[in-house]
Amino acid sequence: MSPSAEAPAAVSRGGAAAERRRFLRIREPLPAWRAWVLGVIPILVLLAAWWAVTSGPTPEERVISPTILPSPVEVVRSFPSLWFDRALTRNLAVSFGRVIAGFAVALAFSFPLGVLMGSFTKVKAAFTPLTVFGAYLPIPTLVPLTLSLFGAAELQKVAFLALAFSIYLVPLFVAAVDAVSDTYLKTAYTLGATQPQAVRKVLLPIAWPEIFQAMRLGFGVGWSYILLAEMVDVGRGVGGIIITSQRRGPREHIYLVLVIIVAVAFVTDKVWERIGRWLFPYRETQR
Amino acid sequence: MTDPEKVGPTALGKMVLGVFVLACLGIAAYYFRDLVAPGGRGTGLVDIDQFRKVEAPDTKGITTVNEYNYVAAEKLPPVKGVSAYKWDAQGKVVQFPINVWIGWLPIVAANHGFAPNADSVFAKEYGFKVNLKLIDDPVVARDTFAAGESHILWGTLDMMVLFTPELMKDSRTAPRISQQVDWSSGGDGIVVRGAIHSVKDLKGKTIVYAQNSPSQYFINNLLLNAGVQPSAVSHKFTATAFEAAAAFVADKSIDACVSWAPDIYNIPEKVAGTRILTTTAEANKLIADVWAARADFAKDHPEIVKGLVAGIFKGMEQLQDTTFREKAYQWMAEGYGMQADEVRAMSEDAHSTNFAENKGFFLNANDPANFERTWKNITFVYRELGLIDTPARFDEVMDFSAMKQLDAEGTFAHQKDEYRAQFAPTTYKKVSAEAPILTQTIRINFYPNSANIYEPQHDEGGRPVKNTLYDPSVGATLEKVARLVGQYDRAVIAVVGHTDSSMKGKGTRYEDVKLLSMDRANAVKKALVEKYRFDANKFTVEGAAWDVPAEADDPMNQALNRRVEVSIYPPEAK
Repeated sequence: MSPSAEAPAAVSRGGAAAERRRFLRIREPLPAWRAWVLGVIPILVLLAAWWAVTSGPTPEERVISPTILPSPVEVVRSFPSLWFDRALTRNLAVSFGRVIAGFAVALAFSFPLGVLMGSFTKVKAAFTPLTVFGAYLPIPTLVPLTLSLFGAAELQKVAFLALAFSIYLVPLFVAAVDAVSDTYLKTAYTLGATQPQAVRKVLLPIAWPEIFQAMRLGFGVGWSYILLAEMVDVGRGVGGIIITSQRRGPREHIYLVLVIIVAVAFVTDKVWERIGRWLFPYRETQR
Repeated sequence: MTDPEKVGPTALGKMVLGVFVLACLGIAAYYFRDLVAPGGRGTGLVDIDQFRKVEAPDTKGITTVNEYNYVAAEKLPPVKGVSAYKWDAQGKVVQFPINVWIGWLPIVAANHGFAPNADSVFAKEYGFKVNLKLIDDPVVARDTFAAGESHILWGTLDMMVLFTPELMKDSRTAPRISQQVDWSSGGDGIVVRGAIHSVKDLKGKTIVYAQNSPSQYFINNLLLNAGVQPSAVSHKFTATAFEAAAAFVADKSIDACVSWAPDIYNIPEKVAGTRILTTTAEANKLIADVWAARADFAKDHPEIVKGLVAGIFKGMEQLQDTTFREKAYQWMAEGYGMQADEVRAMSEDAHSTNFAENKGFFLNANDPANFERTWKNITFVYRELGLIDTPARFDEVMDFSAMKQLDAEGTFAHQKDEYRAQFAPTTYKKVSAEAPILTQTIRINFYPNSANIYEPQHDEGGRPVKNTLYDPSVGATLEKVARLVGQYDRAVIAVVGHTDSSMKGKGTRYEDVKLLSMDRANAVKKALVEKYRFDANKFTVEGAAWDVPAEADDPMNQALNRRVEVSIYPPEAK
């Protein structure tokens, strides 16, 4: 028996053990608490770095001047003035209402369009160039256009958000309907289903979870456009708070509002997830 | 039938419980609504006469001393720490961002374009270069200034009032304002719809303008001066003046907009039923364009700050040559990515302020539209609107050291202040044929039957008491008028005296009352002309006796009736 015959087996056994000890393993199962801890570490590192570059006995001795980046403590301390002087809750409610209204309007247009495009090749052929055009459109340039079409009031904001939502949602809806396997359709035809029946009873029900998922993703997009929508008639909404703070301070509010928008978007997303589980218990919507 | 295995409330029970909990939460939220969802700090009712309390009573009367005699550095906040701006000691390139505005023509001219170059006045005469870069967004300009990427911040004085408290958090980024480059002169204006003829007609109407911009200062200053509560007007805000004009055109429910040239002139031509209410062509000393240097930069390189100031004055001189001016339009057009014609079309929007005018602005304490008064007036307006809490003092940002040096050296002694409007004598009847842009009502407590605004108090025997004033706030009241009159340097001012009607029908002759009201109006005019050196022909006076009660529905309110009204009329040749 030559040693060379033994060696490969030993390596492979030792290799498996090493694989198990390895820090990073592809698709390893992870207990929830460890996932949580791992998730918190980068946030703490970020906060520590933030604190480090903004601490110092005087403003002049900080790495980054308070006129650019206030310290975490200063940001937290400015919360009462954001809450009371700048009416955070009311503005948040206003912005939230606008996102919902814009989303509802967008659904009313993009849902039928998306389903029709996903189902009928001719409709798809007719509208695909438009959706491609939309995907590459720099949305901010639409602000003045919506302004001249819809005025400066609430309608303009809702219309602008609806436009932004639709551009995002239509391709996702099309993909959701597209993804339905031909097998289901063939079975339905075999059973004598008409074209409208195939859409209503086969394509739609099977695509529903995907459509819902698209809506969940799309809803988050609204928060990134709300600042643009609220450039006009700046008086109300969280976008207004940011624009105001940029011009006359305090700078702390800018960062605070950003954190709050993220928090609200996170909670909203969790709500979407809950609704998804309740509506489609047969499909794990977690992503 | 209920499942025997199940414990706990029934479905109905759960629902009732749920509704109950929600109701409790709702009531709690309503009860604590000011805590849960406070309304924010907006504009409540403004005490328009607050102005009187802003300044200490002025018992001196007419002053003759008119130049500040302190050293600028004594009042400016000291710079601490290590300078934090980017600087190449060899190349010496000053990063100077500007916006699209014709007021920057002198510096473009002096710099021979936007890019730093050896041919510029700055390089040839002062040994440094200037890089002009177009940064139109004030927030971006402010951020690059705070980050030390640029050494200079462009802005109007009202923008500086808003930026300063934040920038002063770090003593190195505190702005130091050393020069005024121009007055907006037709560049900003208010366009109205329908039957609005005077600022007071805006009551109950909707106006749109860019927030935190000169537009906001312009309109709210007018409202406060006309005695209209800002909260009595519905304000709509946009991010830029361009959007304000677009919103006004698109939305018929908006009654007025504050915007910039060329929109303010294009709208009345294109949209039926709209007209210009007023522009900075009349309020030609209201919106001042300035630049500020970072405090650490100004401390390290005072000679460069002085060189910038002097170079810009030189640019103004060079622009008097028409061929050179055309060249400057071309440079500016290239820098902005526009056509030379478009730049030329903006040339009437601003009036460049030369050395003599800057000297008045920075050094003359008696100038009705100087730095101090403009700064204080902006601060007053913005504080009343709830926009700022702790404004900076004017002498914390105003750095006249370069101006004083240039004055001592006499480099620009030949430049004269020619921006003073000329007035021909006119009559009240002629002037008041049209509606005034705005009417400011002031109250001076006159001693009975006296027209002396500096009347002393009298003791029980009726003898005047020395060093007292019957109306101790008369100085502040005059100051309020002077600021408005100073801002409207080109407008004609009507001063109308009114008396109360307490002696009506008690044997008093109407002619005597008329004369008294006329004398009171004249006294106000005289005091303004003497203290603030206004052109006497700018004013026309009238005595209205007891004919016009202050409030038509309360004619017997005698305290309100004893008043002087100051009305601003557009100049006759528009």
